[in-house]
Amino acid sequence: MRRLICTIGLLFAAAASACAAPLPLEQVAPGVYVHIGQHKDFEDGYDGDIANIGFVVGSQSVAVIDTGGSYAVGLRLKEALRAITRLPVRYVINTHGHPDHVFGNAAFAGAEFVGHARLPEALSLRGDAYLRNLKQQLGAAAEGSRLIAPGITVRERQTLDLGGRTLLLTAWPKAHTDNDLTVLDTASGTLWTGDLLFIERTPSIDGDAEGWLAAMDGLGDMPAAMTVPGHGPVTRDKKGALARQRNYLATLLRDVRSSIRRGAGMTETMETAAASERPHWQLFDAVNRRNVNLVYPRLEWE
Amino acid sequence: MKNRPHGSRCRYYLSSLTALACLACPLPAPAQAPAQAPDGSWPALQAAYFPGKKLEPAPFIRLTAPSRAASGDQVPFAFSIDHPMTEKQYIKSVAVFVDGNPVPLTAVFHLTPDSGKAEIATRIRLESDSPVHVVAESNDGRFYVNAVMVKASGGCSGPATGDEEAARAGAGKMKLALDTPFKRGDLNKATLLIRHPMSTGMQRDLATHGFRPAYFIDRIAVTYNGKPVLTADTNIGISENPSIQFGFLADKPGALQILVHDSEGATFRQAMDLGG
Repeated sequence: MRRLICTIGLLFAAAASACAAPLPLEQVAPGVYVHIGQHKDFEDGYDGDIANIGFVVGSQSVAVIDTGGSYAVGLRLKEALRAITRLPVRYVINTHGHPDHVFGNAAFAGAEFVGHARLPEALSLRGDAYLRNLKQQLGAAAEGSRLIAPGITVRERQTLDLGGRTLLLTAWPKAHTDNDLTVLDTASGTLWTGDLLFIERTPSIDGDAEGWLAAMDGLGDMPAAMTVPGHGPVTRDKKGALARQRNYLATLLRDVRSSIRRGAGMTETMETAAASERPHWQLFDAVNRRNVNLVYPRLEWE
Repeated sequence: MKNRPHGSRCRYYLSSLTALACLACPLPAPAQAPAQAPDGSWPALQAAYFPGKKLEPAPFIRLTAPSRAASGDQVPFAFSIDHPMTEKQYIKSVAVFVDGNPVPLTAVFHLTPDSGKAEIATRIRLESDSPVHVVAESNDGRFYVNAVMVKASGGCSGPATGDEEAARAGAGKMKLALDTPFKRGDLNKATLLIRHPMSTGMQRDLATHGFRPAYFIDRIAVTYNGKPVLTADTNIGISENPSIQFGFLADKPGALQILVHDSEGATFRQAMDLGG
């Protein structure tokens, strides 16, 4: 019936937002569904659908893990979810505060929002700028997007019960951002890393590169049959993916330090640092430059 | 204004203001203004800072900036002016404006023949995509202008990094180094790094639910053997932990001395002996 109403609704463009086209999903483990975002840069063709988002279905309720970069994307995730289960969405977990992961939150208003203990602060510091940028990037497609801060915050660890299924949440020290949270579905051994792990897409630093390398040691130790990165394909080879990311971050730090030592300026370093990693990553030029821009001014005080 | 009953009077005031403003306009009619305003607020800035002056377009002011900056917080920006720097003929000041910033005047660099070359590299903040205008004044009273468009965002109102207390405690610490070994009787280049939050007054403060007060370096004075080689009047458009690369002529061994002053009246000093 609902589908029929939506089909009718779609005939009238005005009602489209109430029943958006469902996002394509992959079932990566029993009851674990992921929508794989595309590798687009924020400054070039950004459509709000670049991050991996999805949900885990328990016997009594559902937990959504990240909601996409706009209200519209969040609605499309919800539409896909409703095609799979009628169980209530009890939790919405945000793996960190970046706009491509959280602006779909409003589509799940009414659920309990869960995030790192530092997420509320990050959202209030940057929320205005994030929303301004989103409107500039998406225009009318940003409509309805707003930030919802978590009511449940995690300092170290916490479990959520979905009915016969437990999610283990881990809050990390400053790494990709200062509010990274991972989610382990213990039933299937699926680890959602958020942006602590990038596959294919060049890792972007907004926290602390050294801290991120340390967090990756911890991620390596976590048991996971399947790993859902923040960007890129789902993998069974967490170790290999972490090693590739480690190569990039370590090379970047080494090259920037070496530039500073020999007196090369930041602009020149943006062109040269981590160049050996370029063939291995997508969107390398744009993201790597931003990383150098962040890392260089800090490392020159070492 | 919508609660006030005298809408028509408001319109009257507005239109008379427009008329007054146009008396001061060199352009014949306001309708033509948009056609020549690809760089937005520059005509107004020029009128405010250089009233009655003729600004000559100057491709010899060479500007280096990313067309699309990786971050609005730390945008690398440099100018290099191909102009003599002799006692008879030199560039005495260079003003840098980011047209679209809340405080467009980012810095004024005062130079002397002992600067050796009118050339500075630094890092600036951009709140939004904006032209950056550079106006150079020569000692014979001529004004030269050039501009470059830079895309970036969030540099002024974006979150301050780190803890304000820690930033205040560390403010004024400096690193000063020559870029190449000392060259006697020649142009030398040095890079100065200064620890300072350069708070813009537009960054949110979660503790007070307001904004961190503006707190920034407003003057950097550099001398070599007591002679001024650079005096920079700086504002919030200069990035946190300022980095400034400058040149100076060194006729003999001596001391390069830095004196930094901030908006709360604190002063910080640094010196380096060269060629000894």
